[in-house]
Amino acid sequence: MQYVVVGLGGQGILFSSKVLGHIALGRGMHVLGSEVHGMAQRGGSVVSHFKVGNYLSPLVRSGDADILLAFDQNEAFRNLQFLKKGGQAVLNVHAPEALDNAHLRRFCDSRNLRLCAIPGYDILREHMGGRFLFLNVLILGAMCGAGVSDIPMEQMRHAVAELSPEKFREANCRVLELGYGHFTA
Amino acid sequence: MRGVVGVRKREILLGNEAIARGVVEAGCEVASAYPGTPSSEILPAIARFADELGTKTAVEWAVNEKVAFEVAAAAAFAGKRSCAVMKQVGLNVAADALMSVAYFELAGGFLVVVADDPGPHSSQTEQDSRAFAHFAKIPCFDPATAEEARDMVAVAYDLSEKYHMPVMLRPTGRVDHARQDVELREIAAPERPARFTKDVRRWVCLPAHVRLNHPQLNAKNDAIREEFETSFDAFTYEVPAKEKAKLGIVASGVSFAIVSDLLAAWGRTDVALLKIGTPVPLPVRRVESFLARHEKVLLLEETYPVIEEQLRDRTKVLGRWNGAVPREGELLPEVIAGIVARALGEPLPEAVDPSLKAALEELQVKPRPPMLCPGCPHRASFFAIRKAVPNGIYPSDIGCYTLGVNQKMVDSVICMGASVTQPSGFHLAYRVDGKEQPIVATIGDSTFFHMGIPGLVNAVYNRHAFVLAILDNSITAMTGGQPNPAVGEKLRKGDPGRAVDIAGVVRGCGVSFVRTVEAYDIPTGIDVVKEAWEHARREKEPAVVLFRHPCMLLRCEQAKVPVRVDQEKCVGCRFCINFFNCPALRFDEEKKKAFVDDRFCVACGVCREVCPHGAIVPIREEE
Repeated sequence: MQYVVVGLGGQGILFSSKVLGHIALGRGMHVLGSEVHGMAQRGGSVVSHFKVGNYLSPLVRSGDADILLAFDQNEAFRNLQFLKKGGQAVLNVHAPEALDNAHLRRFCDSRNLRLCAIPGYDILREHMGGRFLFLNVLILGAMCGAGVSDIPMEQMRHAVAELSPEKFREANCRVLELGYGHFTA
Repeated sequence: MRGVVGVRKREILLGNEAIARGVVEAGCEVASAYPGTPSSEILPAIARFADELGTKTAVEWAVNEKVAFEVAAAAAFAGKRSCAVMKQVGLNVAADALMSVAYFELAGGFLVVVADDPGPHSSQTEQDSRAFAHFAKIPCFDPATAEEARDMVAVAYDLSEKYHMPVMLRPTGRVDHARQDVELREIAAPERPARFTKDVRRWVCLPAHVRLNHPQLNAKNDAIREEFETSFDAFTYEVPAKEKAKLGIVASGVSFAIVSDLLAAWGRTDVALLKIGTPVPLPVRRVESFLARHEKVLLLEETYPVIEEQLRDRTKVLGRWNGAVPREGELLPEVIAGIVARALGEPLPEAVDPSLKAALEELQVKPRPPMLCPGCPHRASFFAIRKAVPNGIYPSDIGCYTLGVNQKMVDSVICMGASVTQPSGFHLAYRVDGKEQPIVATIGDSTFFHMGIPGLVNAVYNRHAFVLAILDNSITAMTGGQPNPAVGEKLRKGDPGRAVDIAGVVRGCGVSFVRTVEAYDIPTGIDVVKEAWEHARREKEPAVVLFRHPCMLLRCEQAKVPVRVDQEKCVGCRFCINFFNCPALRFDEEKKKAFVDDRFCVACGVCREVCPHGAIVPIREEE
């Protein structure tokens, strides 16, 4: 299973690969990923790779990813070429009308891609007083809710609770459910 | 548990943590480093594992890489296993010491970890430190994965002690910032008592001694090359093709990992691999034998042709000499897929889909460049400097504040510390023409200590007129927030350090104009920089302004001043976008007005000072 996680520096995308890794290791699988640190982290485009299984290289090749998790819709579009045919994406959208772009739809249809959009900023404005650092767990919840990965929600709940710092645990678990509920409610 | 090799569970580690784990497992007792991407996480992880495993390892941030290298080298003179860690350009700073220490007959094992940055992602060069190892005549290990990097550390220490010389481990960023499950071990190496045996012939690099040591160094290289030819099979080995090989590939570092995954994904059984984990000195016979058995051989290594250029006959090699492999840039999986397909004479993998390309164009989606964080004090300092000295030349330095380039406030950057020396050059260039040119240079607190001080002394001594703005945010921010001498805290909490006062150092260098301002206070900043430049030109000497405000990454509590753009007052001039360049100030192309994007705003309130039309206003309670 190969994931690509994209967003902007400072959005907390590293936490999501941490959670995915924790779950995979718990299942006795090998995990391998690649992160971005340093200058590129400062608010710019950030791509993080994550692979579960027997691999040597931490990088996902364009056209090989099963799942794309995008914290920003523009970053999602820029990185859609990572998805393999039949791949799936969870994306946080702030301007959902872009999804109606004819070229974009043609591309997704031609490759049989499934895009699951969630208005993350709106949800966090409404429920979390605009604390957008919770995007990472929101997207993980959405991934389970939309049935995008084979990870059962119960396992996700467990991993998020275990890996969250004490002071964010309760809120993280709450936001995880918000993401899940967006697709299941 | 000392002296016992045990096996523990697997844990997910960052490549840099895996290297650190190896360093502690190998019994390193003195570790020194200067942070720099992609190496920065190694040293803190050494401290963490040392504490977990109960070693007494001294772990310290040094003021620069030369200092780190020399501190670690001398610990090895005294018989300890030691380690210096830096990024590739840091080795340039430490090069003087490296070249010299290579000739020494060390007592303890000395590992130099140098992290390269192909791409580059966060550096001013794409240099290959394996070439530096070759230049210094020291052996170099090139890991393909995080786990292999950890394994190489112990072997590198043994080799260092066997030949009494420094050994380099050269991970690239993809190994440093890989995250993978790694098997943890206990400490394998026994403690070595500190014992410095005085021996002038051994420890003093007089020319007479060098004449004796250089042939000895050459002999060590021959012996190590021979060892790499015949052993070290864990790191340098062949992966034969299952059928007759159509192509041979020699690969080093993460390129080996990428090409292995690629061949597996393609299901190819007609490509043979030779993995080189020991590129310097190159086991030439191994490569020549591989070349002899294959019609065509592709050579994949990052970033310079270090293996390639050690070969005597390259006629069969598809590499950089004949353009088969690009001479610059990172060898990403897509790039390697193209190179391998071309070498096999097969169709190239598909490029970006035309409909996706059209969608990106229509939706105006572009990669977002790095920017200073919302609320970053540097942004305010740059704004004040421009207002005070609008016709200046603005040399700058390496750090977050290089991103001041987005505010048109960074005109030239060379390397660490050069913000203090470039003004001297600019000053002299104009002065010989009889002209006066305002110059305001910017440097961060950590960079000032790193290499800024000699340039400042030089400017005072030679009487060069310019303003040096030291942007003191009490942290080494770009690399993830390490403490530095200005802060006084050491790497380990509870390990007492002492703060070195920047203003005191500046005065000690002979600067008479030294003023400190709160970076968020733009009006005062403007006045003080104006005054500083007046002083500098009048007295013909450098003047220093210290802009202080903690880095946003420190998440200090500060007053929240939510703001909005008054849509009536905004004239759509984009002044705030162009000269303040905050991620939270954006431009609505339809309305032709600026607006505050709540996804990014941290309510620092600084931008209220920025709008020439007073359109950026606080949000009142009732709104």
